[in-house]
Amino acid sequence: MNRQWIPRIAGIAAVVLLLIFPFIYGRDDYDFIMHLWITAFFFAILASSWSLLAGYAGQFSFAHMAFMAIGAYTAALYGNYIRILSAPTNLCTEYQIGGRWLVILNPVGVTSSAKDCLEIAKESLPAGTIISQPSIWWGVFGGVLMGGIFGLLVGYLVLRLRSTYLALFTIGFAEILRAAISAEIAITQGQAGLELLPLFPHGITLFGNTYSSTDKLMPYYAMLFLFLLCMAVMLRLTGTRFGLFIRALREDEEAAAALGVNVVRYKVMVFTITAMMAAAAGAVFGHYIGIITPNILIILQMSLVIAMAVIGGLESIVASAIGAIIILFMLELLRNSFDIGPVRVDMTLWRLVFFGAVLMLTLRFRRNGLIAPILDWFNRAGVAEETVAKRQASPTEGSD
Amino acid sequence: MTELRVNNITKNFGGLQVLHNVTFEVNGAELIGLIGPNGAGKTTLTNILDGALNPTSGTVYLNGRRIDSMPPYEVAKAGLGRTFQVTRAFRRMTVLENLYVPALALHPAARQRDFEDKAMGVLEFLTIDHLRNEYGRALSGGQQKLLELGRLLMLDPDIIILDEPFAGVHPKLMEVIYKYIYKVNEDGKAVIIISHDMDTIFTLSRRLLVLNYGDLIADGDPDVVKNDPVVIEAYLGADDDEELYEDENGENGDTAVTPEEARDG
Repeated sequence: MNRQWIPRIAGIAAVVLLLIFPFIYGRDDYDFIMHLWITAFFFAILASSWSLLAGYAGQFSFAHMAFMAIGAYTAALYGNYIRILSAPTNLCTEYQIGGRWLVILNPVGVTSSAKDCLEIAKESLPAGTIISQPSIWWGVFGGVLMGGIFGLLVGYLVLRLRSTYLALFTIGFAEILRAAISAEIAITQGQAGLELLPLFPHGITLFGNTYSSTDKLMPYYAMLFLFLLCMAVMLRLTGTRFGLFIRALREDEEAAAALGVNVVRYKVMVFTITAMMAAAAGAVFGHYIGIITPNILIILQMSLVIAMAVIGGLESIVASAIGAIIILFMLELLRNSFDIGPVRVDMTLWRLVFFGAVLMLTLRFRRNGLIAPILDWFNRAGVAEETVAKRQASPTEGSD
Repeated sequence: MTELRVNNITKNFGGLQVLHNVTFEVNGAELIGLIGPNGAGKTTLTNILDGALNPTSGTVYLNGRRIDSMPPYEVAKAGLGRTFQVTRAFRRMTVLENLYVPALALHPAARQRDFEDKAMGVLEFLTIDHLRNEYGRALSGGQQKLLELGRLLMLDPDIIILDEPFAGVHPKLMEVIYKYIYKVNEDGKAVIIISHDMDTIFTLSRRLLVLNYGDLIADGDPDVVKNDPVVIEAYLGADDDEELYEDENGENGDTAVTPEEARDG
C-alpha cells in the first residue's frame, strides 16, 4: 500500500472511533472523559483555524480568542435579552413579527434589585400570554455572523501590518474587547459572567433513549460535528486556489501580488473565515459550559491555543488539531500529584512547567512541531527518491 | 503588438527625487537592457511599472490601458511580469506550487491539474523538472532564479522585466537563462533586463536605456550608447570607455557559454 494513504485511512478510522466513543466507553469517569473530549474539540477548532491563519497565511494574530469571545458573547446576549411573546409588553423595545412580538429586554446589571421590563410587564400582560426564548441556534448563528464581521474589519485594519506590528495590534484588539466586556457590567455582568442555556435545554430523545439537558452526549456530538465541519471546510480550502494563494502571501506578499494574486482579498478572507470558526466554537462551547466571563480573553488562553498549534505543527491544520487534543488530555491527566520519597510533587502546578518545557523544546529542536513531520513523512513519501532518480537520469540538470 | 508607454514618470521619496521625467516606449518584442549605477532608480522604475509604487507624477500605459494607478496584481494580469533583484521563490511551497500560483491567478475558473502539463514543460525547459515536488527552499540560489523565470512563463505576460537575472548564478545556469530570454523574446514578448553584468547586457540587448540619478540619460543602440561620453562619465566619472563593459565581479571569466552561443544552441 502506498505510504501516502496511511494518514487518510488513519483519519477515517479516528473519525469512526470518535463517533462511536460515547457508546463504547463505559468506565466510571465517563462524564469526566466526555467533558475532556468536548473541551478538546473546542481547542482543536481554535488551534487548527489559528493554524490556517498564522501557519498557512502567515498572519500571526493574537485576536483569535477575541473572535471566539465575540461568538460566545453574542450567543449569550441573545439568550439573555431576546424573548418571543404572543402579546406586546408595551414597555420593552419590541417588534411585531407575524402574530408574535420579538422583545428586547433592558439590562439591569448584576447587583441591582430592579426588575427588567418583562418582569414589570408580566403583571399587566393578558392571561395566557406565551413567553418563550427563541432557539439558541439562532444565537449561535448570530455569533458566527458577528465573528465574521469583526474578522472582516480586523482583516482590513491589519492589511499593511506584518509580524510584530500585527501581533501587537491584535493583542490591543483583544484587550480592548476584554476591557469593554468587563466595563459594561450592566449589559455583560462583567466578571460575574453571563449565563447561557444548555445546548439542548429540554433534553433530547434519540432511538428511544432520553438524554437530559446536562447529559454530555449531545454536547459531545455537537462539538464533534462542528470540529469535523471546520476541518472539512479548511482541508477543502487548502486544496484550492485559496490555500495556494494564502501560502503565497505568507511567503512573500509582494511577489504574490506581482504574480497576479489579489493579496488584500485573500488576507481579508482568511481573517473572516477563521474568525467565524473561532466564533462558532465559542458560541457552542459557551452553551455547553453554561457561563462565560471576560477571563476567556486573557492572554494566557490565547497563548495556550498558540502553543497547541506550535507543538502540533503550525503549518498543518490536522497536526494543530491533533496537537490541541493531545495537549488538552495531557494537561488534564497530568494533574495527579505523586510522591518522590518524602517530597510531594504537586502536579497541578508542575504540569504547566512540563507543558512550558515541551513548548520550548519543540521551538528549539522541532520548529515544524511534533505531529506535522510525521504527517509529512507519509504525505511526501517518494519525493526525495524521485528527485534523485530524475537527476541521475538527466544529463543536463540545473545545478548550482 | 506589445506597447508600453512611459510618460514623464517622476518619483519623490520625501525630498529625494529618485526619478525625474523618465519617458520611453517599448514597441513589440524588443530586447532592452536597463542599466545605471547603484541608486540610479532602476528598481524604483520597475516598482512603478509593476504597480508596487505609485509615481509622484507621470503616466504608464500598457497596450492602451493606464496601469500606473493599478495594484500589482492587476498590472500582472494586464500583461506585465517581473522578477526581483533578490530572488523571491516561495520557499515553503513546492516547485510545482510556485508555478501554479500565477497560472491560477490568471485563470479564475481553472484548477491546478489543468496546468500540470504546461508546468512540467516549463520545468523541463528550465532543466529543473526533477525538483518539481521539492520545496523552494531546497533549491540553490541559481535554481530559485530559474523558478522565478518559470513563474513568469506561467503568467504569460506581454512584457517581462528581469531584475538582475544573472547575479550569483553559476555559468551553467546562465546558459539556461540566456536561452530563456531568447525564447520568450522570439515568442513575441518584450524583455527588459536590468543587470550590472555589462558584457552580457551589451551582448544580449538590442536597445539600451541608461538611468543616472533618476534621469534617463541614454536610449538607443548598445554600440552607440556604450561610446556615449555622458554614459561613460555617469558610470566611471572618467573617459575610460574600456572599463564600462568589462567584467565587474570576475565571474564572467568562468562563463562557459556566451549569449550568442546559447542562442545558437
